[in-house]
Amino acid sequence: MIRYALRSMASHKLRTVLTAIAIVLGTAMMAGTFVITDQIRNAFSDIFGTSFAGTDVYLSRRPAFGSGTGQDQVGPLPASVIAQVRKVPGVAKADGQIQAAGSLVVNGKYLKSQGGAPNLVVSTLPKPFNQNTLVAGHYPEGHGQVALIEQTATDHHLHVGQHVELTTLVGVQPVTIVGIFRFGNVSSIGGATVIATTFADAQQWYNRIGKTSTISVDGEPNVSPAQLRERIAAALPHFVKAQTGPQAAKQQTDQVSNSINSFFTPALLAFAGAAVLVGAFVIFNTFSITVAQRMREFAMLRTIGAMRRQVLLTVLGEALVVGVTASVLGLVAGVGFAKLLGALFKAVGFGLPLAGISVHLWPGVVLPLAVGIGVTMAASFAPARRATRVPPIAALREGAELPPTRLARFTPYIAGLLLVLGILAVFLGVTGSGPTTQRLFTIAIGAIVSFIGLAMVSRYLIRPLARAIGWPLGLRGGASGRLARENTTRNTGRTAVTAAALMIGIGLVVFFSVLINGFKQSFLGSIDKSVTSNLIIQNHSQGAPVPDAAVSVTAGVPGVGSATGIAFTNVRIGKGGTDVANGVDPQALPKLYQFQWQKGGSDALLGKLHGNNTVVEEQFAKSHHLSPGSTFQVTSVDGRHLTLHEIGQYKDPVLFGGFMLTQKTYARVSTDANPQVLLVRYASGANGDATTRAVKAALKAYPDVNVQTNSEFKASFSKQINQLLYLLYVLLAMSVVISLFGIVNTLALSVFERTREIGMLRAIGTTRLQLRETILYESVITAVIGGLLGIVIGVVLAWVVALGFRSSGIVFAIPYGQVVLSLVVAVIAGVVAAAFPARRAARLNVLEALQYE
Amino acid sequence: MGVIEAEDVTRRFGEGDAAVDALRGVSLDVPAGQFAAVMGPSGSGKSTLMHILAGLDRPTSGSISIDGTEITELNDKRLTLLRRHNIGFVFQFFNLLPTRTAEENILLPLQIAGTKPDHAWVEAVIDRVGLGERRRHRPAELSGGQQQRVAIARALVSRPTVIFADEPTGNLDSATGGEILKVLREAVDTYQQTTVMVTHDASAAAVADRALFLADGLIVRDAPCHSASDIMTILAELSAG
Repeated sequence: MIRYALRSMASHKLRTVLTAIAIVLGTAMMAGTFVITDQIRNAFSDIFGTSFAGTDVYLSRRPAFGSGTGQDQVGPLPASVIAQVRKVPGVAKADGQIQAAGSLVVNGKYLKSQGGAPNLVVSTLPKPFNQNTLVAGHYPEGHGQVALIEQTATDHHLHVGQHVELTTLVGVQPVTIVGIFRFGNVSSIGGATVIATTFADAQQWYNRIGKTSTISVDGEPNVSPAQLRERIAAALPHFVKAQTGPQAAKQQTDQVSNSINSFFTPALLAFAGAAVLVGAFVIFNTFSITVAQRMREFAMLRTIGAMRRQVLLTVLGEALVVGVTASVLGLVAGVGFAKLLGALFKAVGFGLPLAGISVHLWPGVVLPLAVGIGVTMAASFAPARRATRVPPIAALREGAELPPTRLARFTPYIAGLLLVLGILAVFLGVTGSGPTTQRLFTIAIGAIVSFIGLAMVSRYLIRPLARAIGWPLGLRGGASGRLARENTTRNTGRTAVTAAALMIGIGLVVFFSVLINGFKQSFLGSIDKSVTSNLIIQNHSQGAPVPDAAVSVTAGVPGVGSATGIAFTNVRIGKGGTDVANGVDPQALPKLYQFQWQKGGSDALLGKLHGNNTVVEEQFAKSHHLSPGSTFQVTSVDGRHLTLHEIGQYKDPVLFGGFMLTQKTYARVSTDANPQVLLVRYASGANGDATTRAVKAALKAYPDVNVQTNSEFKASFSKQINQLLYLLYVLLAMSVVISLFGIVNTLALSVFERTREIGMLRAIGTTRLQLRETILYESVITAVIGGLLGIVIGVVLAWVVALGFRSSGIVFAIPYGQVVLSLVVAVIAGVVAAAFPARRAARLNVLEALQYE
Repeated sequence: MGVIEAEDVTRRFGEGDAAVDALRGVSLDVPAGQFAAVMGPSGSGKSTLMHILAGLDRPTSGSISIDGTEITELNDKRLTLLRRHNIGFVFQFFNLLPTRTAEENILLPLQIAGTKPDHAWVEAVIDRVGLGERRRHRPAELSGGQQQRVAIARALVSRPTVIFADEPTGNLDSATGGEILKVLREAVDTYQQTTVMVTHDASAAAVADRALFLADGLIVRDAPCHSASDIMTILAELSAG
């Protein structure tokens, strides 16, 4: 029977190829995801492995809770620890290193990193800790000397001996480039800029006087790193975390790994999963159509004595061959897809370091293969079973119809139930408690079920939809439009599944568009509603602090009415989760930010905001069961505790989640009291433009700060969000492309099925152009049905999710422009998909077509 | 002058040694309003002749004019328009659109041509072929004879110069076939509808005004029709050689 299946496939090459492509693309995305995440992980593993190669023991501050952020975010160690370590027996050498954020200013221009990568400043370590390779010059030895990583130097055409400036927390410092190095052996770490200074300079410039971020220790030859680590750990206070070099390398690699595994991999796999789901619809449809077309063939097999099981195996055998071939091709194509992804991320600015490609059996090879083959088999099972129900008598009758299944009359109810259950599951996933991965899984399953449900429901909507969509085409296209409409309603199940494949892609596009637009609108809306500043000042390097001095400089600019800095950091609340502590100036803030007080509070509460008093956000109060008068304990990332006393509540989950403290109290729970945001309001009567210019001029000394008017700030925020959206669109494009192949396949098979009819139409005077138009309109009607259904399900799912996030201030806002655009995409998909089948139909020889059986 | 004029038409399929001459120089002339039957054994070239006369196939040499238009030089588009406006078809297997009712099938040629149907004419045609109550039914709900009536009405509706009927009774039992021939005959008589019918059935040919006998790609006899027995006699003569 397998040989029979193979022969049958060989005689329908085109159909087989189009079906296979649907699975190739999905598995390629899956395999590619594993390839690229592996590359990123290996690259970081190499980077950290190299940088710790000369370190026996590595000391840092023990974080009070898993902050998940970079090392110095947990706070520095007292520099005195270096001297303490040196006294531990077996220690040959111990040196401190400071890690901070800062970048160069060349001819007044601030050098930004690429795509959200950090602007790193590190102090130079001596040998053997320093594992970098010099390319030119030497490492910084004296005050004002810096060395650069090769990529930074190349990107900005910098050379040894050049005088430039470095941004620091105490303003811009003049420095001289004395060396260019490679990090271990690589010229760049993603898009990050890396600048090395002396230890003393870094202490002075980055608020680390008498402190060090980390300490690297080299042991005597007769002590093993593990022994040395134990000795040091025993000799030092508990807040010092001691790791061997390999432990530190592993931990830092794991940290990167975890952030990849917790977001990057699942996100990419979700898009790959969408592509595979679309592929499943295409497979299901193609097999359904071909089984229907081959009824006489199956009946003939039955008349000559084939068992039902053998008929089943014939169809499943075809599916197996398609599944295996396509999945293997998908694996190979996955490597190409990984390259594409790498280029894509680079293009949108997420520059990540990539190591060479290494292949792992699990999950990189096995999972895409298993999913590709499994999905193909699963999708073809129902059509295969239908093939077994062909009665032998059908061999003798023309136009015999397959008997409906026993469950057919329940289909509409099952379909509706699936749709409702799917949407419900999404809602429960969003609002439910439990681990994030589990909730995301529930949401994904819910989405899939609702897609399948809608696909099943949609067959009952095809007639009215085709009539509505075909109406304008009928007006314009006359007979072509009418024929197209009739053709799409001829087999509503077929049209429904074809449209459903596109529905998934468009549905996800609309879902993310609506959701992200809601997020964007909530943020922008909150700013419009509450922030009464004229300027918003931040560091160019996202999340990095604005020097405190810049705040006072700005406040002194003529025309500035008020200026206030806002600092924020993560702290642990009680014994449980983390939340945000905001350090504010209670006198200045109400002039720049309009509080929405709850429980009868007013701005008068700010007068009482001193000492350990705090005002908390409504959601924060709710989740920690707080009311005015209650107290709660917070722990800073470097392990300091503080008990706070709630005096009132405000509402603003978007901009000011968590709670507010005075800047003085904030310093007690933060490792860095510098604010990240500076709000500025003009004095009444001041000239806005002139004041903005004056502020910018005054901040010339701090080129790392970015002065934006509120509208500029909002625009750059929107731009960032849009960039994320474009990335999603590109990833979802694959799903749309696969569904396009599905439309091509359905149309081609329908044209084949209607060969004699096409012959008749041509004979009685239908021109080639009219025939092409008919197929084109047929394709467009199907695609637009898919688009409309996608828009509906996308909007509904986004609404459900937004509903679940309502307490976090996320609004539901439909971006009408983007929704219309997605419909345009559907039309274009229809036009493109029609090209080949329409050509084929138009080229049919009239006589041969008429005589076709 | 005839509505159909064919001059020394040949048609060769294939090339070289494998070449087959389906038509070897056929000339004929069908005057307006005539009902002509083309007869001959299978392989005689009668279907090929019809296809070429109807603009579905091109001759290897020779010329054909339909209503004064030389069709051998027309491109696909012009030929299609010629078929649309000047030619009606009745096929052996009916070839109706399964999605449409009888009436909608009948209106199909007008829709394709983008002309507004003349309701009185459409009614007359539907009436003529005797489809009155079955007009809202789809082909699957109609008998073979009823489907062929729809096909005849579809051919008549655009008032073609000539109708080509390809074995119109070939897929029907003899009683139903007889009714269909009657419908065709009446249409010819009522509307002076020039009609060319290809058939291998002597009783079918008998309803025509004239019978053309083909053998090996040539017209071997061209005789007026009187009865099926006359035709049987001619066939017997021809096969006796």
